[in-house]
Amino acid sequence: MERTAAKSYDAVVIGAGNGGLSAAIRVLQGGFSCLLLEKHNLPGGFATSFKRGRFEFEASLHELNDFGSPEEPGDIRILFRELGVEDKIDWIRIPEAYHLITTDKKYDCEMPFGVEAYINKMEEYCPGSRKSMTEFFELCNEVRDAQTYSSSVNGNTDSNYMKSNFPNFIKAGSYSVNEVLDALKMPKKAQDILNAYWCYLGVDCDRMSFLHYGSMVIRYITRDAWMPKMRSHEISLAMDTRIRELGGDIWYQSEAEKILTDDENKIIGVRLTDGTVIKTGHVIANCSPHLVFGKMLEEKSVTEKMIRATNARTFAGRGLTLFLGLNKSSEELGIKSHNYFIYDTADSVKQYDMMKKIETNHVQATVCLNNAYPQCSPEGTCMMYFTTMFMSDDWGSITEEDYFKAKDRIADDMINVFERETGCKIRDSIEEICLASPTTYARYCGHPEGVIYGYETADWDSLMPRMMMLKEDAELFPGLRFAGGYAMRSSGYSSAYVSGDLSGRQTVGDLKREGK
Amino acid sequence: MNFKKQIFGFMDMLRFKKLVPNRREALANGADTPLPKEYRTNILAHKLHPGYMAVELTEIRTLTPDMKEYVFKRVDENAFPFFRAGQYVSLQGKVGDSLVSRPYSIASSPREALTNELTLGIEKAGFFSDYLDSQAKVGDQFTMSEPSGEFHYESLRDKKQIVCIAGGSGITPFVSMAKSMSEGDEDYEMTLFYGARDVQHIAYKSELDALAEKGLKTVYVLSDEEAEGYEHGFVSAEIIEKYVDIKNVTFFMCGPKAMYDFVLKELEPYKLPLKAVHKDATYCSDRNVENPKTFRLTVHVRDLVYNIDAKENETLLTSMERAGINAPNKCRAGGCGYCHSKLLKGDFIVADARDGRREADRKFGFIHPCVTYPLSDMEIDVPPAY
Repeated sequence: MERTAAKSYDAVVIGAGNGGLSAAIRVLQGGFSCLLLEKHNLPGGFATSFKRGRFEFEASLHELNDFGSPEEPGDIRILFRELGVEDKIDWIRIPEAYHLITTDKKYDCEMPFGVEAYINKMEEYCPGSRKSMTEFFELCNEVRDAQTYSSSVNGNTDSNYMKSNFPNFIKAGSYSVNEVLDALKMPKKAQDILNAYWCYLGVDCDRMSFLHYGSMVIRYITRDAWMPKMRSHEISLAMDTRIRELGGDIWYQSEAEKILTDDENKIIGVRLTDGTVIKTGHVIANCSPHLVFGKMLEEKSVTEKMIRATNARTFAGRGLTLFLGLNKSSEELGIKSHNYFIYDTADSVKQYDMMKKIETNHVQATVCLNNAYPQCSPEGTCMMYFTTMFMSDDWGSITEEDYFKAKDRIADDMINVFERETGCKIRDSIEEICLASPTTYARYCGHPEGVIYGYETADWDSLMPRMMMLKEDAELFPGLRFAGGYAMRSSGYSSAYVSGDLSGRQTVGDLKREGK
Repeated sequence: MNFKKQIFGFMDMLRFKKLVPNRREALANGADTPLPKEYRTNILAHKLHPGYMAVELTEIRTLTPDMKEYVFKRVDENAFPFFRAGQYVSLQGKVGDSLVSRPYSIASSPREALTNELTLGIEKAGFFSDYLDSQAKVGDQFTMSEPSGEFHYESLRDKKQIVCIAGGSGITPFVSMAKSMSEGDEDYEMTLFYGARDVQHIAYKSELDALAEKGLKTVYVLSDEEAEGYEHGFVSAEIIEKYVDIKNVTFFMCGPKAMYDFVLKELEPYKLPLKAVHKDATYCSDRNVENPKTFRLTVHVRDLVYNIDAKENETLLTSMERAGINAPNKCRAGGCGYCHSKLLKGDFIVADARDGRREADRKFGFIHPCVTYPLSDMEIDVPPAY
């Protein structure tokens, strides 16, 4: 059914994921009209929840970093404040940083938040690490300050200012995590324990930029992490509500199929799968350039440069999460921590390689939500979720007939690994079970291959050059900007919200320059 | 501190300067081969979850005096998705000016789905089933949702031995589950208790008896007739105990509410954990209201606005269907969340024990129209079904 919507919009945001939601709010706050399109019937993308029996499961959020307390807010709390959603959400603080377990070296380390506490604990586990750990955090602080400066000038940094104020940032800036930690002469064991967060960024520490990792770790350790009480669905609905308050429109069950252009290759609208056309001159895409340049943008407007730039990039991890509702409390089951990282090996390079194949991947980032928020499930029960990733498209080989059994095999393995490594027996207490595979993520969010981490921030495509090329990347197709896990800030909740903030505000700038 | 990797600090600085040129070059040197149009995982996702399907009725067969079997094929593709035995589809058709949908359990097996055959066993018991019984004919086209629902076996949650209890047309998911077991796609051992009024109200008897060879144990329980080879009465603990160890099995039940109430009471003394008993959802019907009022319901679907009547005793979904609005719905029991809609104005009440909304839905004013009745004039924002 071809139909043109009665109203045209200054900007259309495609996808109501975390990036799309914050982008839409920014466009509206800038005084422009905005329509948010979402193919699913809920906002949030991965940021949602679902019910099974007496449990409401968190779909993906482990912890929101860089949030901080109301008195000492982190960047994300400040962003939420500016977006007008901070007070719409009830927050709880995550109690500890992480509990690292590795099968090969038998690490079993519980790490706290707070720089001093973290360094002290590390000294306990790895005597002689204090000096290098202290230097690590000093370096991280400089990284953070440099990034704050860079954001304040929208990436147009003055190189002399940078050199005189943040020399260590620049000198360490081109190296990987492992290269920097070696240069700091950090003992191997301390490196292993410190690198536990690597799976949150999905790149091994030989290829992950130190700046990226350092800036994440410092945010976790100094500003701790928070969660909304009603799962991430609470954030997504708070943003939905905010968009409506600001006069924006949201269409659910409305999948954008084409980005329409005129003879001069200027964006003139968006067409939905059912033929409905919405007129607009600006699009913020909360989806991958692979989809936008490969399928959505009218072919006549797709240039060789776009194709080359998109082909050059590497998909990051394909996600898989097991959800369990257990009919015993975490105390009864002996589950003490909120957040476990369980690795086969402390060697991230080796581990990354093992994560390419379903059979050799036993990594899990596991959360028992009750240990942060005891009331999240009925008394005498608890909820857990176990997340892993595949670093190749091995899941694509699963056949339709084997699909459900393949999910069972992986769930079985995840439960085995958790029971073996923690000694907590959970199998007999399973009241609800559900597994989201790469297929599930592909189904709900449309990401190629069920990727949940966007493009790998490894080697040449790491965070720093991405940020420095913000302006240049956007010139690939004026009128089109990206938000979400595939955008400049890469994946993760905080990064996705920030990418929407950036692209939303920049679209406002574009509209103002056009004299609208 | 003074960070240094190479002997001279300026060498580290130079490396930093190259980050942008390096990336610029890598982007320019990407392959110029066309970007993929399809991805394997996404193809699988679409096969398993096609959303709404266009189907055609290919065969109608009488099962019992009140129940018929309807066989469908897909006309938009060559196969139905592989599913979990026990799941349902929502069948949608046009009856007069109304767009009507109802959830029905699938009776055929997941393997049969791959041969483009999907079977529903439907009892004549309401508006849409009466229509199907009296009007539907081979060749008619319908819209059908993809297979959905959590009423199915889970090997990591459930016991190896399962007891299935069927009442009336509640037999259908168990026919699928028995077939799926016989086809090697499920690894449970299944004992089926099938309650019916009398012999002539037993559906699928020859199929079930034939599955005995493949390990299915069926116990027929007749309430209104005594016959040899059949248990008499209701499906009581006493009868179940004759065949299985109640404490060592997982129960699956599908049938009328009265049956659930009866069986649950029978099982009470065994103090089974919640996880030991699964009930299939029953769909939400009208509410008892004396002299129901008629309210004004304003429905926004994207940029279209409809002003329609909404009766106090009918769900908002039913009112929208009466008006021909294509509102999304699947389970009609409050649980699946597919009808998730935004409340803009007005008072409402949710059907007893059917509020399947998420916590934040209640906080921010979202509703499930399939189990929501109006208490005043209302205004809601509903996404289109398709």
